Amino acid sequence: MLILLIVYAAVAAVCLIGHRRLDRVAFPLSTVPHIVTFAWLISVAPSVLDGDPMVASIDWVGQLGLSIDLRLDGFGLLMGLLVTGVGALVTVYSSGYFSESYERARIAGLLGVFAAAMLGLVWSDGLLTLFVFWELTSVASFLLIGTDDRSATARAAALRALLVTGIGGLSLLAGLVLLGIAGGTTTISGLLAADPSGGVVPAALVLVLVGTATKSAQFPFQFWLPGAMAAPTPVSAYLHSATMVKAGIVVVARLAPTFADVAVWRPIIVVCGLGSVLLGGVRSMRQQDAKLALAHGTVSQLGLIMILVGLGTPATTYAGVAVLLAHALFKASWFLAVGAVDHATGTRDLRRIRGVRRFGVLATAVVLAAASMAAIPPTFGFVTKEGALEALIEGGAGWPGTLALVGVVLGSLLTVAYTIRLALGVLGDGTIAADAIDPEHLHRPGPVLVGPPALLALLGLAAGLAAGPVGAWLARVAASLDPASGGRELYLWHGFTPALGLSAFALIGGGALWWSTRAATATTDAPRSLSTIAYDRGYEGVLSGSRRVTGVTQSGSLPLYLGIVLLSVAAAAGAALATHAGSFDWSAVPLANSPLEVVACGATALSALAVAVARQRFAAALALGGSGYLLALVFLLQGAPDLAVTQFLVETVTIAVYLLVLARLPQRFSAAPDWAPLGVRIAVSVVIGLSVAGFALQASTARTDPSVAEEYIARSEPEAGGRNVVNVIIVDFRGFDTMGEITVLAIAGAGVINLVAAARREQRRKQLLDGTDVKDLSGRAPEVWR
Amino acid sequence: MSPRSATPRSTILSLTVSGLTPVLVLVAVFVTFRGHNAPGGGFAGGLIVGIVLVLRYLTDGTEAVRRLPVDPIVVIGAGLLLAVATGAVPLLFGSSFLESAIWKVNLPLIGEVKIVSSALFDLGVFTLVAGVVAAILVALAEADNEARRGETGDPEDGGPLDADPLDDDDRAEADR
Repeated sequence: MLILLIVYAAVAAVCLIGHRRLDRVAFPLSTVPHIVTFAWLISVAPSVLDGDPMVASIDWVGQLGLSIDLRLDGFGLLMGLLVTGVGALVTVYSSGYFSESYERARIAGLLGVFAAAMLGLVWSDGLLTLFVFWELTSVASFLLIGTDDRSATARAAALRALLVTGIGGLSLLAGLVLLGIAGGTTTISGLLAADPSGGVVPAALVLVLVGTATKSAQFPFQFWLPGAMAAPTPVSAYLHSATMVKAGIVVVARLAPTFADVAVWRPIIVVCGLGSVLLGGVRSMRQQDAKLALAHGTVSQLGLIMILVGLGTPATTYAGVAVLLAHALFKASWFLAVGAVDHATGTRDLRRIRGVRRFGVLATAVVLAAASMAAIPPTFGFVTKEGALEALIEGGAGWPGTLALVGVVLGSLLTVAYTIRLALGVLGDGTIAADAIDPEHLHRPGPVLVGPPALLALLGLAAGLAAGPVGAWLARVAASLDPASGGRELYLWHGFTPALGLSAFALIGGGALWWSTRAATATTDAPRSLSTIAYDRGYEGVLSGSRRVTGVTQSGSLPLYLGIVLLSVAAAAGAALATHAGSFDWSAVPLANSPLEVVACGATALSALAVAVARQRFAAALALGGSGYLLALVFLLQGAPDLAVTQFLVETVTIAVYLLVLARLPQRFSAAPDWAPLGVRIAVSVVIGLSVAGFALQASTARTDPSVAEEYIARSEPEAGGRNVVNVIIVDFRGFDTMGEITVLAIAGAGVINLVAAARREQRRKQLLDGTDVKDLSGRAPEVWR
Repeated sequence: MSPRSATPRSTILSLTVSGLTPVLVLVAVFVTFRGHNAPGGGFAGGLIVGIVLVLRYLTDGTEAVRRLPVDPIVVIGAGLLLAVATGAVPLLFGSSFLESAIWKVNLPLIGEVKIVSSALFDLGVFTLVAGVVAAILVALAEADNEARRGETGDPEDGGPLDADPLDDDDRAEADR
């Protein structure tokens, strides 16, 4: 499994690095991993579906219990087939869709990165592995939405999608971590087996649901998805209908059978799901851009799937898996078909499209996909919608289930209405707009553009006709989510049941709704949704709020910063001291080991005092250096040569740099600010000095466990091959710490470099602005240093 | 161009420092590798290189850091990369992050030499620390030059920088 992911990543990397040179072959090349993985999945399907999941695990950071855990079960298999199957078709389609003006290798590479991340997501068993892949798909989506990076709309849409799904991802992470702690496990399978309850579990589940709702574009986070349509159509077809937006559903589907009975779960699922179903349906009716209409329809359909898998009864889980497959087939087909129509006519505006009917195959694909979307028999869409209604009628999920049934019927009605409108808009000739396309000047889409949507639409029809076998196969898939879902079936025809009645009601009602609103929806453009407005307000609010906070907290006064930092330290140390003051054992305090120590310490203190009373910066710096060197002597006397050497060298470099900087400051210290007279400064100094000293004393006598030093010394030579245990600790035993520290150092170094660059930019800007030189900026000390 | 510009402040000091530079760098490398068994290590070694740079800066002025063959940020990055890579390589062999490997090699003339993989990690620390000091000095040099450039436009007010012992050298540089 892991090898396949690496192959994906490698091909993607080749595309991204090869860039221009691979422009022509990028898409054909990136089809290969899809086909290979698809074939592999087919080959392992029998054993996986027999309830024998494939497991792969790689230790990552063993000490932290972090590992990359992959687990391919039935549901992972279905999702894998979707990701690779639709992926293969989309890449083939893309090779015909993208002209030379696109950076084709980049798009192909990003699609490959996305596919690898998505496969990792649907196969991951580790809670953190899941999160990592989850975020990777968000990033890939961000980059792909922003393909047209010269368009401000596309950039804003990409950023919005990233922010919404990114914040959701953090919520998911928090939820997963809490669940992991509650269940004492790091894997999903372990979590489901442990089935923790009470305590933090409800809160954790709410966090998880927020995360999944953002990713799967559920109410009230649905607004990023229509914006994401700024992406090229093949990308939308792949990420924003067939795969990525299913990520939230994948997580919900895995958790629901175990956690659906927790009180908070079903109400949230049903409210979010129904909100999406209805809002998406209504808003889809009002779009003039075919792709946007589809996007709102996707929100609606995702809501339906979310409700089904989220309710978590065996029947709804099964129905949810079936609808998921049906939706992927017809929605990807729709998107690709709209892309082909766009290619042929040069527009996606429902009011302007004309003449698509003359492309027989494409028109057939649209009709089939529409039939499946509107759940007209004998398509797979109808079969699965029937299954969904049956499952909801069957009940078992309490009042949320009943509510869901009503909502789903209304949603189906809306779906029928917007599907009719969309299909007629794409295929019809009765256009309203004056600038409608002239049917004589159409550009016939090639087989590469027509083939994939037609194939997907045909599959939707075939699966409907073969409802029995497909249903049995899906039952084995669903059994991996909930064993009780196994053995269920789908029917194309199962007599006159309530479900059939509801389906007929939805069809007739939907038709009537379309008829009665067709004039009203023909011309209007949809207003911005409340969620979008809320998001925009929130975004602006955060920006201006942070500006205000920065203005208040970053006053630019170094003495103030220093005072706050020092007093905070003193407060923390003081609080710790106060709570332990009673237990302090004065007799355990060592006084001095030798007279020389007394001398060295005294000299250090005197030198430090000199820093405080010096009037000239130069003298103060020298005194500071003196106290540093004397401190090195103290270290040496205490038997810490490594520390002494380092302290000595650090002091040398610091003092030298100090002096170089001081050369550009006034010789004498400037007067202290008014709010900090001498008394205040002395008080602050005394408080911090006492608390740090007290803390050090307390800490040195507060040992409760035996020191690790003995063990380190014993292990140093045999395990790390070094006799200097201090160094061995730094580079080996605690090498991870060192890694962190040098990273901080590297960032500090980069910061210094950037500060200089920024100052130079600023100076150049000022020079440009007023045409004079700006000596003040660097010649004199900036305000901060005074 | 003033004749002073080509003359360092103290020829003797400058020559001594430039003569000592290779020796001091060698000492720094020695301290780094010695750290495994005796006081020293990558951090100390890197600081020694830093001190060498500071000395050169003091004797030769900003010219000293402008002549650096590589950009400090590259050095910093290389050091970090080396350290991370040393940590990551054991993962490929199924060991945990940063696990040490110890090889014993017989070299002609020298005899048996023990090589520990964590020495490479220390070398990364060494490189990074030296790079950071270099970055700070480059920043100072840049600021110096900017200040000089700002001042040449306004000769009446030398400002606090008149006290700067580096002034003459640098101002001459800016004049060029």
